[in-house]
Amino acid sequence: MKRKQFTALLLVGAVIMSTLSGCSMGASSKGKNAAKNDGGIKEFTYFVAVPGNEINDDNEIQQKIAEITGAKVKETWLTGQTAKEAVGTLIAGGEYPDFICGSEGSSQLYEAGALVALDDYIDKYPNIKNFFTKTEWESLRQADGHIYWIPQFNNSYGKEMETTHNDEAFWIQTRVLKWAGYPKVTTMDQYFDLIERYQEANPTMPNGTKNIPYTILCDDWRYFCLENAPLFLDGYANDGSCIVDPETKKVIDYNTTPTAKVYFNKLNQEFKKGIVDPESFTQKYDEYIAKLSTGRVLGMIDQWWDFYNTVNDALKQQGLEDLGCNYVPLPITIKEGVQSRWHTSGDTVNVGSGISITKDCKDVEGALKFINDLLSQEVINLRNWGIKDVDYMVDKDGLFYRTPEIRMQVTNTGYKASHMCTYSYFPIYSGMSQDNLNANKPEQQPNEFLSSLPKNVQECLEAYNSKNYIDMVGRNEIPGPWYPIYTFVGTMTTATPGGTTWIKMREIKQEYLPKVVMAPDFEEGWKEYMKVYETCNPKAFLDEVQPEVDRRIELSEKAAQ
Amino acid sequence: MKRQKVLLLWSLVYVIYGFIFCYLPLAGWLMAFENYKPKDGFFHSQFIGLGKFKQLFVDDGFLRVIRNTLAMGVINLVVTFVAAIVFAILLNELKSQGGKKVVQTISYLPHFLSWIIVTGILHDALSGTGIVNDLLLRFHLLKEPLNFFAHPKYFWGIVAFANVWKETGWNAIIYLAAIVAIDTNLYEAAAIDGAGRWARIRYITLPGIKPTIIILLLMNAGNVLNAGFEVQYLLGNGLVQSVSQTIDIYVLKWGISQGDYSLGTAAGVFKSVVSIVIILIANGMAKRAGEERLF
Amino acid sequence: MKRATTRKKTSVGEKVFVFLNGFFMILFVIITLYPVWNTLVISLNNGTDSLRGGLYLWPRMWTLKNFNTVLHKKNLLVGAYVTVARTIIGTLMALGANAILAYIVSRKRFLFKRQLSLFWVITMYVNGGLIPTFLLFKGLGLTNNFLVYIIPGMISAFYMLVIRTFMVGIPDSFEESAQLDGAGDVVIFTKIISPLCKPVYATVALFCAVGHWNSWFDAMLYNRMNSNLTTLQYELMKLLSSVTNQSTSVESMKNAVGTVTPTSVRAAATILTMLPIVCLYPFLQRYFVTGLTIGGVKE
Repeated sequence: MKRKQFTALLLVGAVIMSTLSGCSMGASSKGKNAAKNDGGIKEFTYFVAVPGNEINDDNEIQQKIAEITGAKVKETWLTGQTAKEAVGTLIAGGEYPDFICGSEGSSQLYEAGALVALDDYIDKYPNIKNFFTKTEWESLRQADGHIYWIPQFNNSYGKEMETTHNDEAFWIQTRVLKWAGYPKVTTMDQYFDLIERYQEANPTMPNGTKNIPYTILCDDWRYFCLENAPLFLDGYANDGSCIVDPETKKVIDYNTTPTAKVYFNKLNQEFKKGIVDPESFTQKYDEYIAKLSTGRVLGMIDQWWDFYNTVNDALKQQGLEDLGCNYVPLPITIKEGVQSRWHTSGDTVNVGSGISITKDCKDVEGALKFINDLLSQEVINLRNWGIKDVDYMVDKDGLFYRTPEIRMQVTNTGYKASHMCTYSYFPIYSGMSQDNLNANKPEQQPNEFLSSLPKNVQECLEAYNSKNYIDMVGRNEIPGPWYPIYTFVGTMTTATPGGTTWIKMREIKQEYLPKVVMAPDFEEGWKEYMKVYETCNPKAFLDEVQPEVDRRIELSEKAAQ
Repeated sequence: MKRQKVLLLWSLVYVIYGFIFCYLPLAGWLMAFENYKPKDGFFHSQFIGLGKFKQLFVDDGFLRVIRNTLAMGVINLVVTFVAAIVFAILLNELKSQGGKKVVQTISYLPHFLSWIIVTGILHDALSGTGIVNDLLLRFHLLKEPLNFFAHPKYFWGIVAFANVWKETGWNAIIYLAAIVAIDTNLYEAAAIDGAGRWARIRYITLPGIKPTIIILLLMNAGNVLNAGFEVQYLLGNGLVQSVSQTIDIYVLKWGISQGDYSLGTAAGVFKSVVSIVIILIANGMAKRAGEERLF
Repeated sequence: MKRATTRKKTSVGEKVFVFLNGFFMILFVIITLYPVWNTLVISLNNGTDSLRGGLYLWPRMWTLKNFNTVLHKKNLLVGAYVTVARTIIGTLMALGANAILAYIVSRKRFLFKRQLSLFWVITMYVNGGLIPTFLLFKGLGLTNNFLVYIIPGMISAFYMLVIRTFMVGIPDSFEESAQLDGAGDVVIFTKIISPLCKPVYATVALFCAVGHWNSWFDAMLYNRMNSNLTTLQYELMKLLSSVTNQSTSVESMKNAVGTVTPTSVRAAATILTMLPIVCLYPFLQRYFVTGLTIGGVKE
């Protein structure tokens, strides 16, 4: 009896399994790697090696774009792996989606011969061709002379409309500036002095919790909040991993400059005074964000994108905006007279990665046409603003705007998944719309930007005679054609001595910089750090970056001729 | 010799299956001896012999992570083991059946929390203003708040505690299953003979679950080099990285995230070999002691 | 019967033990319940508000939004269907396969029991790595295939050894008397040994089921391109990694879209996936809590 039951169970199991696997195989052969006609609409697949939001299959704007362009793309994002791991498995398996964005794994894809060279096609697609200047296209050529990917971001049409300083800065709460009567703060000493004075006068929040004068995020790769300030303090633009002197075109290590020592000495003194948060070096990113969200932290160095989203929401919700807990950037340098270059305007193309078409794509022309179509103004508006009269309104002058209800709605996760379709990892313009009236991105539309700004920030910006965040730190031109060199450093691996050094430098700094800041005797701590730092042979790293700087300069000169 | 046929036939199926799914992929170990490039595949990548192993063993950093891994592996093995056995026995001694059920159900719940949640709570509890510092200050055991995560000396202990906290109830399930399998007649007989609770635990319960204990101990001994990666990564920071990094973190940093699969594979091969050696030794010791063994 | 004797024998030491044990259990329950409780609290609290921290025993700002976010995830239903299917089928198959293997290697009469055990023990400590395994599965046609959830992980030396230990503890007299009646291995395994192994089968079934229920890496690795074969946990992982700032580089963070607080959503997802498996437990629990008598035959 029982045995019969068991057999029956097994049979049932087998039947279920075979049906499941059967239908799965059917489905897989249908949806995979094939730009098939499905009611006249082509379907492409796209793997993006960064985490991202999936949208619903029946997404409304996606459908609308499909009607215009005749194609739609199913995007898959990175989950639970690093970009290089994910790309490595794809290469090993030898099967690719139609589109791919390899992120940090881009060069692996190129080396594996997985990508289609795009240079012969580009001329046929005006929107793609115009997306970059000739010089920029040249800079995208790989060692074999071909172009394999199209970087998607940092491309302004018309004039730049940037309103936020999206990058790194010394940030300070507006309440501190207001308390001091909006003074001019341009040096590191002034900055810390101001924080000290404010803290002495106002040690607590109105509700009694203690202020945290200055905190430092130091969690894993986010330790840039501690380590790379010397670069900016000396008035250089953000080349990331090292300084490239615009005069001599030479690569300089910012870890050992006199400014670096002065800066860390300052932090050491402030740590002893109790100004630097004692939990700085053990806090995790979540805890850091939690601290900022309580409005207790007066100032810190960070990149805007690293904190603004969640922190500003939290401040708003708790009514802390009225207390002046929002942050504005300051143009801090090491001493008076040094020009601050925290913000560089103009488009910096990340040549290290972009969207590619793989050799498994059956319809390269169709794929490129889709990218081309996505860059038409009509579709750009759909991607960035949404549907007219639903996601934005147009006033009598033709200016786009959003009502408070719409603003609320477009941040709703469910609404985004079912309605909005930004195709965010396809090439996209920021800057001005072709109508020469509106910004391509809602958050850069001047009236949209202003109405989203908290009162205390508006007041502060006004006091400094600034129209937006960028005016606070000042605009600067891109220092040179190599900029930013971190797009090269990101591709270095342990295969070269320089790449190995690069990881070692990071490891040493992560351990010793906190120690230096907390050292009872700074000089001794610094000496020990420098001794260990030299053992990783930083020169090997610099020696590999220099040729790339030279190469990029040469390339741009050639293209200019 | 008789009565082998059926068993042999069945074994054959298992051997074929095991060969395909467990042993065939070991061809991938070839990667450890070459400079593997995805574009060249296994068979066309450059063969470099022991180069990757040399690279590992001349690096002070690797020797340090071996030390950390071994230390944390052994500490975790011992404490989680003892905790689970003690908990299982004590739970079994609980008189109320309802109480037993409730306690057991609750005890294994933390197993389902991801490490990121557990470490988040732990970070909270041990922070300068967390409950631990609060208590220590209140009882005057400390003069000022102690930042536990800034001192390398506390790190291994914290990791061990985290493991016990999360997995004790779950690990105890196996022992509970073994305890219920003990013939209840034995307990009754012992009770009639006037054996107290302690004597019953010592002479009936413990011997009854001994085979299970030994098998699990042997198996886990082979796992000391798999001290983990997530906990250490989530609890660690720059200040304690000299004691927090494990082999897995090292491999991730220097191998996988650099696209250097060969290095990762070499470390994996090293771990496997050490594990198997440990298992062979431990099994041999068990054999000599006349205890249960793995094979 | 047992209770009666215990009561008669109650001494001071006994009382102290009972008291201390009860106290210890309560303490233990509090400590282990706390993280779960805290997760529940966070899942029911407004996400932005949770950012401020200081959330311990009770939600400050009640909301069901976190659960809504999770439940609104598309493909969740497909994922749930696949996960239930793989949990049931996978657990049954694994239990059967491991039990039979354990039966084979626990037979004292079997000549190669040690070799076969060793063969499997080794598999616990070696693996060929991600890429070779991927290539093998691809070669076997297991990618984009439901069977990849069931077949490759079916045998686990760990489960096999746990069952074997149990089977070894069963007196030989059971098998011998059955053999005298002319029973073959099939009968001995299904009719004699297996009924006695209920507690350990329950344990292994629980372990397998939880493993299947929670796994997502195989779905990501082998069935990423096929949304009909996705699992529940993989869908949740995708949701989490889209809301988490888990990216490993500055460049990708700069262009990241829609980064919001992950803590609350993660908490809600955890609670939701925990529920079914917690509900499964009472069914298995009777095999652990009530004693089982291997009565009858004395050696």
